[in-house]
Amino acid sequence: MASFSTTDSITASVIRSAMETVCFEMATYVSRTATTPILNQSNERNATILDQNGRLAALSVGIPQFMLSSTLPVRLAIDFFENDLHPGDVIVANDPYHGGGHLPDFNVFSPVFDDDGILVMFASIQCHHGDTGGAMAGGYNVFAKDIWSEGTRYPILKIFDAGVERRDVVLMMRANNRLAGFIGDLRSQVGAAQLGAERLKALVDDYGADVVRSAIDWTITDARRRFSQEIAAWPDGTYSADVYFDADPAGNRDIHVHVAVTVDGDHLIIDFAGSDTRPEIQAWSTFGNTRGNAIAQLASMVDASIPKNEGFFDCIDLRVPEGSCLNPTEGKPVSSGTHHPGVEVSDAIALAMSQIIPDRCAPQSYKYGSPRQMWGDVDPRTGLAFFDHGGEVNAGWVNAVRGQDAWGALAAASGNLIKASAEINEHFFPHFLRGRNYITDSGGPGQWRGGCGSNFVKEVRTPTYVNQYVVNQRHIHPGIAGGHHGSPDHCMVGDTEVNPSVANKLIQTGEKLVYRFGGGGGWGDPLNRDPVAVLDDVWDEYVSVRGALKDYGVVITGSLEEMTLEVDFEATKLAREARR
Amino acid sequence: MSYRIGVDVGGTFTDCVLRRPDGSLVLEKAPTTPQDQSDGVLTGLAQLAAAEGMELADLLAQTRTIVHGTTTGDNALIEMKGASTGLIVTDGFRDEIEFRRCFKEDIWDPAASPPPPIARRRVRLEVTERMNAEGEVETSLDEEGVRKATARLRAFGVMSIAVCFLHSYINPQHELQAREIILDEYPDVEMVSLSHEILPKPPEFERTSTTLVNAFVGPPIARYLQRLTDRLAAAGFSHELLVATSAGGVATASASARRAVATIGSGPTGGVIAAARAGHNAGMGDVVSVDMGGTSYDLCLIRGGRPEVKMDWNWRHRYCLGIPMVDIPSVGAGGGSIAWEEGGVLHVGPQSAGSEPGPVSYGRGGTEPTVTDADLVLGRLDPQRFASGRLQLDRDAATAALAQLGSRLGLSAEETAAATVTLVDAHMTDAIRRVLSLAGADPRRLELIAFGGMGGVHATTQAAALGMHRVLVPSAAPGLSALGLLTADHIIDDSRGYIVPWAEVDPNTLARLAQELQDNALSELANAGVPDERIRLTWSILLVYPGQTFDVAIPVDAPTKVAEAVTEFHRRNEEARLIEARAQEPIVRGIRLTAVGEVDQIASESPEHGAAPPPLGRRDMWAGDGWQHDAPCYDLSSIRPGASIEGPAALQSPFTTVILRPGDIAGVTDGGDLLIDVGADGGAS
Repeated sequence: MASFSTTDSITASVIRSAMETVCFEMATYVSRTATTPILNQSNERNATILDQNGRLAALSVGIPQFMLSSTLPVRLAIDFFENDLHPGDVIVANDPYHGGGHLPDFNVFSPVFDDDGILVMFASIQCHHGDTGGAMAGGYNVFAKDIWSEGTRYPILKIFDAGVERRDVVLMMRANNRLAGFIGDLRSQVGAAQLGAERLKALVDDYGADVVRSAIDWTITDARRRFSQEIAAWPDGTYSADVYFDADPAGNRDIHVHVAVTVDGDHLIIDFAGSDTRPEIQAWSTFGNTRGNAIAQLASMVDASIPKNEGFFDCIDLRVPEGSCLNPTEGKPVSSGTHHPGVEVSDAIALAMSQIIPDRCAPQSYKYGSPRQMWGDVDPRTGLAFFDHGGEVNAGWVNAVRGQDAWGALAAASGNLIKASAEINEHFFPHFLRGRNYITDSGGPGQWRGGCGSNFVKEVRTPTYVNQYVVNQRHIHPGIAGGHHGSPDHCMVGDTEVNPSVANKLIQTGEKLVYRFGGGGGWGDPLNRDPVAVLDDVWDEYVSVRGALKDYGVVITGSLEEMTLEVDFEATKLAREARR
Repeated sequence: MSYRIGVDVGGTFTDCVLRRPDGSLVLEKAPTTPQDQSDGVLTGLAQLAAAEGMELADLLAQTRTIVHGTTTGDNALIEMKGASTGLIVTDGFRDEIEFRRCFKEDIWDPAASPPPPIARRRVRLEVTERMNAEGEVETSLDEEGVRKATARLRAFGVMSIAVCFLHSYINPQHELQAREIILDEYPDVEMVSLSHEILPKPPEFERTSTTLVNAFVGPPIARYLQRLTDRLAAAGFSHELLVATSAGGVATASASARRAVATIGSGPTGGVIAAARAGHNAGMGDVVSVDMGGTSYDLCLIRGGRPEVKMDWNWRHRYCLGIPMVDIPSVGAGGGSIAWEEGGVLHVGPQSAGSEPGPVSYGRGGTEPTVTDADLVLGRLDPQRFASGRLQLDRDAATAALAQLGSRLGLSAEETAAATVTLVDAHMTDAIRRVLSLAGADPRRLELIAFGGMGGVHATTQAAALGMHRVLVPSAAPGLSALGLLTADHIIDDSRGYIVPWAEVDPNTLARLAQELQDNALSELANAGVPDERIRLTWSILLVYPGQTFDVAIPVDAPTKVAEAVTEFHRRNEEARLIEARAQEPIVRGIRLTAVGEVDQIASESPEHGAAPPPLGRRDMWAGDGWQHDAPCYDLSSIRPGASIEGPAALQSPFTTVILRPGDIAGVTDGGDLLIDVGADGGAS
């Protein structure tokens, strides 16, 4: 574009598009070359480009909550290495207390320089790995008392020094991981970072470092402008919400997240002061994890096309008191806290913002507790030990929004997680999945109905040990704008009710794990729901005849069995009037 | 020798290509008749007969093969006008089609809508039965339950029933029993689709979704193909109609009616097949084909002469189809893509003005400037000779619209036009990069084939930006899809699930499954009249590392050569830097057979050689770095092999324009296609 000035918006938007493509290429590279299913199929990897100050310039997102985990480790590397960063360096980082989220999330990044040796930007790729060393296999020791028993921490570590792989580092990392495929997957990430750096260098060569830098400034400013325009349209004021979850895995009850969101012109202050600070709890979400959940929730509430980059969070002043459950002091365990209170951050922001922009509020959260682990010494079909990390399809906690009943299995933010199937898992693990249907009447009633939860039943074919942690039994995933919450979670392992957790619970051949995943919240007053929509729901058994009356004030006559269902509009009117 | 006919139904026209016994071609276009596409087909055939000076009956009597590409299935799915469909599943698995393995198309938008349902929950019924993962009956089929479910579906007005039981791909007994009971209870049911016959592979979601779509589009497709077959027979055609499939080949009409889902997405395959042939004839290696029309930019990677085929996780019209499909991703970039401004930032697309109202310069009421308008203002299109001169382009109107847009950006009309072209070129270049990255292909090792009305206008810019050295623009651009169908091989691409650690494979099981695949394929090819010597079988073993979900097909000489496949699987992964691959023991997930019945290829008539023709005229045009003054314009059809044209220049035919940038050099191959040596990147950045 020689005829235009080098800093014009056309060139900038071409460069932005090219950077987003580089992110896509990095993420795809991992998908093609990694062996871990969570990477190559469940898409739990996020690629980012950061500028020379560690500002986020572009990204390709797998899981929104984890999209930001690269920024703080890159900033640490810039500060720590100072002038000791070189072309061909590749750095690994996973430490929750040096900017990371939790130990299984490894960030791998590589700096890009111009021909004068001046740092221009970084290509970074974050992936979830299946093990981190530590006391328990799987990288998810929710029973850990501190970070060191969860696994090995790598704050920032050069795995490539100026283009040469450091064999000592690879050896050490191999020695600190249980999985045969770990180093291969890590190298897949390294390859992605190298590919990204190579492509970004070509961009710098084509356009010149100054043009690329001003393009990054431009795209950040553009995102800031668009996001701040949205904020400016919201009424000024401070909006608070409190969210609790039942208990941490150790049984400490009623973990509390408090948020106060202040809209101040085109700026947001999000303050978590007042959240849980009890030192004995095992529910710690690191600052990076808290920030990721907060931004992911906000991103779901504004124009989906606004680029997610530094400009997006330039508008946000995030205040998280150190020592609280959302910004723990160094040393606390974080596996469990990644999810809870991590996702309660989303719930709290959605509830606070629903006071002013209810139409767009649906918590982008889930209530998994922790990944289910089932293992045993002998699969009778093979004679070998087995370890099932869970991760199968289930439905739960999908909220409705104004104008749209909830649908599908999980919230939109989890839409990239392609989950495991019954048929394939039954080949590898000695169990039968007896079903996972939606549960009738489990979706939160509302003018738009919350998604149904599901009845997940797994029967073991051999003695099997289970670890399971369950939340959402007393403090339920919320409805919005007068919509009710859905059904609670409930889990039985053999004859034992899980509340809040079981560890190493042995169940015998023919016994079952029955997990009733909770429903999503409704939106708006259920008494305003169109009776014909309720009738449709009854035909489809999302709602029962009884539920129609109890939850929606809709009187339905006839029977599903006889195929004679009808709405009694007159009786419905009376029933609804009586309740208003 | 006899005639061969290819018929491709497009959105506006039904293209019919006749190949004479001497290899020469005749093209006719008839208006597409959306209500019943067979009307347009018969009209087109009558036009072909007239062009040959024959009665239709005489032409058809001398025609051995008619290959048909139809969008009936796609339309049924887009408009949700398939059969009233119900589903019977294993107890506990009623909602897989809604769960979609948790996949959602937009991770940012909680208000995004669900796919329109093929079978609502009320017509998805469960029966008690269960196979275990080893294919043994764990719970026998509740026959009374099937009867009751059938009666209930019938009462709901269901006409087409899909059945998907767990692990049926390994033991289909219960599904087969269920069909007997359904037919007994409901003899008038229009179709019963069994999952193990539609997609005999795990996992359950992909198989359920594919089977359900088959049940939905099957009746209209079967009816349509029957009607067309009857009409062709009545008109004098005595062989079985062949139908294009999504796997990039053809199948008999009867096979297509049984497995109708395999016609979904077959629309763009004809063009890609033709592009692959053209690339091969021009001596090209691996290529990317791009089809740029009015609204979309369709891409396909073609390696080893074959378009990339993808299985398992194919999404079409919001449903997952696990069958093998030619992978033709599409992005919203075309001549009709609208340029617009938001907050001082220029954007192009993905919204399109389509053909109605179309670009501003069409003068049909379009008011928003498009890529075509920008190309026109930049002198890249000839206002007098666009679309064979049937459409006079209004350059002043395009200029005015771009000027108005530019006033909000501080740019002149011409600058806005150049910016629009720059942006759309960047989108297309990035789209190619993304497609290639999914396949792990390096653009610098590939060449580009461009077709579609706008393909040639933008092709050299993309090629240069991607480091590609050559671009081919096939001469038969307007009827390329129909031509592709004529040259399409008969392809049966089928697989059988068999999940076992590779070291524990039972050779007898593998041999039995292979025999089953081979018998089916050979009998289908025999039905289609493919002679034995033209049949080529390619076996693959499907492999994964432990825990992976999507398998990879590794070609082997014989279906039992599992160890060789494992070695190759490791090698491929290692090549992609996955150095520790051998630390893991792969798992076999099944075998796949691609049976190809090759058709005679068209020996194209070589045009006479000649010197470069004189230009039609000269004009200023934007190409490469900027404005090129008094650049020559040539009639594309007047360029003969041996001549060479240097850019900047515009090469025009009734259907397309090719822009050469300074440094580009174009010539015509003996096959009559335009081959461009791309000069150094003169404008992409």
